[in-house]
Amino acid sequence: MKSSNRSSSPRRRRTPAAVALGAVLALTATACGDDGSGAGGDKGAEGSGKGKIVFWDNNGGVRTDVWKTIIADFEKANPDIDVEYVGIASTEYQSKVDTAIQGGGLPDVGGVGAAMLAGFAAQNALDPLDDRLAKSSLNGKLNEDMVESLKAAGGDDGTLYSVPTSANNGVLYYRTDLFDKAGLKEPTTWDAFFEAAEKLTDKGKNRFGYTIRGGAGSIAQALDAMYGQSGITSFWDSSGKKTTLNDPKNVEALEKYAGLYKKVTPAADLNNDFTKMVAQWDSGTIGMLNHNLGSYQDHVKAFGTDKFRGIPQPVGSTGKRVQVSNPVDGLGLFKSSKNKEAAWKFIEFATSHEQNSKFNESAGQVPANNDAAKDAWISEAEPTKLAAEALTDGSTTIVQLPYYLPDWNTVSKADNEPNFQKVLLGKMSAKDFLDGMAEELNAAQKEWDEQKG
Amino acid sequence: MITKEATVAAPAPAPAAPAPPRLAKKRPAWDEVPRWQVYLPLGVYLVFTLVPFYWILLFSLRPAGSTSLVPWPMTFEHFEKVWTERSFGTYFGNSVLVGLATLVMTTAVALAGGYALARFDFKVKRVFMLALLCSQFVPGALLLVPLFEIFAELRMLNSLGSVIIAETVFQLPLSMILISNFIKNVPYSLEEAAWVDGCGRLRAFRIVVLPLLRPGLIAVGSFAFVHSWNHFLFALMFLNNQSKQTIPVGLNTLMSADSVDLGALAAGGIIAAVPVVIVFAFIQKWLITGFSAGAVKG
Repeated sequence: MKSSNRSSSPRRRRTPAAVALGAVLALTATACGDDGSGAGGDKGAEGSGKGKIVFWDNNGGVRTDVWKTIIADFEKANPDIDVEYVGIASTEYQSKVDTAIQGGGLPDVGGVGAAMLAGFAAQNALDPLDDRLAKSSLNGKLNEDMVESLKAAGGDDGTLYSVPTSANNGVLYYRTDLFDKAGLKEPTTWDAFFEAAEKLTDKGKNRFGYTIRGGAGSIAQALDAMYGQSGITSFWDSSGKKTTLNDPKNVEALEKYAGLYKKVTPAADLNNDFTKMVAQWDSGTIGMLNHNLGSYQDHVKAFGTDKFRGIPQPVGSTGKRVQVSNPVDGLGLFKSSKNKEAAWKFIEFATSHEQNSKFNESAGQVPANNDAAKDAWISEAEPTKLAAEALTDGSTTIVQLPYYLPDWNTVSKADNEPNFQKVLLGKMSAKDFLDGMAEELNAAQKEWDEQKG
Repeated sequence: MITKEATVAAPAPAPAAPAPPRLAKKRPAWDEVPRWQVYLPLGVYLVFTLVPFYWILLFSLRPAGSTSLVPWPMTFEHFEKVWTERSFGTYFGNSVLVGLATLVMTTAVALAGGYALARFDFKVKRVFMLALLCSQFVPGALLLVPLFEIFAELRMLNSLGSVIIAETVFQLPLSMILISNFIKNVPYSLEEAAWVDGCGRLRAFRIVVLPLLRPGLIAVGSFAFVHSWNHFLFALMFLNNQSKQTIPVGLNTLMSADSVDLGALAAGGIIAAVPVVIVFAFIQKWLITGFSAGAVKG
């Protein structure tokens, strides 16, 4: 290297040395991190059953407080174990776990719901839990449907990779004051729902009967309304190779549902994700909203408990209630854990009667622990009570969505949400939309079958 | 070929009549412009810009469940909630630390690298400059796993140091290019004069060049601070412990899978935005000068 001008080498090197030293000291002072051990392929170890375990919450923030209470109770009952809580926003959870699977730093325990289970299991990141559950005091005390749902979501070999904590469920929220004023009956059937949506709409006064989800997450909600009306009870036909998605009854039902857009809904609904949809309904000028149990507390804050109700989805013309499955949430034990014994103790404790009840009362969801589902708070939270009844009294048939397909998230979100917006705008027919999606899913199922051999 | 005679013999062409001076289009004086032509577009622009901010302010100051279009009755419960219950006090402190450390490290290293690029010739200089530019095209997400593995090896995961290093590394190319252009704009003769007066290179740089770089340093430093203040990805991926997380990650946790507290989210947004607004309010004069000067190739 040469200077373009007269060279004059600096004699004093103290200043750069001081800057370098300062930088090193500053970084050292902010360091002291963990070693990031534990990647996807690590086998881990049972450990001593004592010491520290790390727990990643897959819906951090709003649930942080209840988890900290549960952890405090656990540490009191198990003084030799410390639990480090890490709350991660649900939207970023999958990418954070995927990065840790590749690069190391997985926790011991993590929230693992049905929607993400297939991906984590396929990367060999989760420990099978069947044997542990069989020997546990929890055995037989968990909701069998939820256990089966998580087994199915983990792949087709029937292995349990996540212990269920709770189930969410689709709810039809409606404004009782507006219904009373308009002389409408409770929307317990799809016909009553469509009738009420029209009667409650007065565009001139900016009042609408319904708010539709046209943005992120629109497909699952549209499928719920579609199968609910058509009464078709299985996602696959009898051969198990072709989806019922584009069955003519479903096409007709989707046409009717999509026809609500702009007729009885605000035009801005085209970009509605759940946040906008819930905020819009809570603003007070809309009659009905389809969402799950999770937003119940938001509605209570907006209206109190006397101006709205949350009831199970309407029944169709067959007289049966058909709903698509909402992802069951649960706790998984990561294979790379160096302290699996302590980690399992924490999972057992968190899904025990008292703690599971505490968690679900706070989250407003249906408990996985059968004893917790009988607790008094359930009857005080009406939507949760009705959802729990609907899921257990035989009145509801659940259409199991294929969460086990690795391509499910791509097909049901990135690939087809823009197409559903075209359907709402009338630029694509419901039939073309469903045919396209069905074709993708049939191919994904075929590939899945081939991989299984 | 033109001969002298021919040139002499030829009658000199009559001088062309001077062209009438082109009437320059007169720019209308400020007083002649109807006020609505100025204020209407500005007003429309301001409405589009400020209404979302008003909306955030409204949600942060009105009680939960209120649908009022004015923040009255006013409440600070959302601010109290996010600052105490949601640990925004801690996140704020961490973000300040990351932002200031990134600012100092980026500016210091960019100053040294920028000086070398401006004042020295070396064989692979053009290639090096091209590499610096190309590095700007690589999204941070692409390097996430390699960086994650490196920090894991260094046992720096879950430390603010990892975020500071990653932010500094990603800020450096642009900062170095900008600083080198600022330095090129400082006449070399000034440094030479200082050398003649007995200064070494470092002292001449410190006494003569550095004071002239103030707008550039402010531009580069503020850019580094604001970018690291707002950056989400590295903090999300490299930090686990809640006591070490930063403001953008904290904001993200205010939205759950099926419920969102808009009041808290708006209050968190205001807390996140205020420092950046204050920084820009103080430095805007130097910032504009700095960026326009740095944009000129020396």
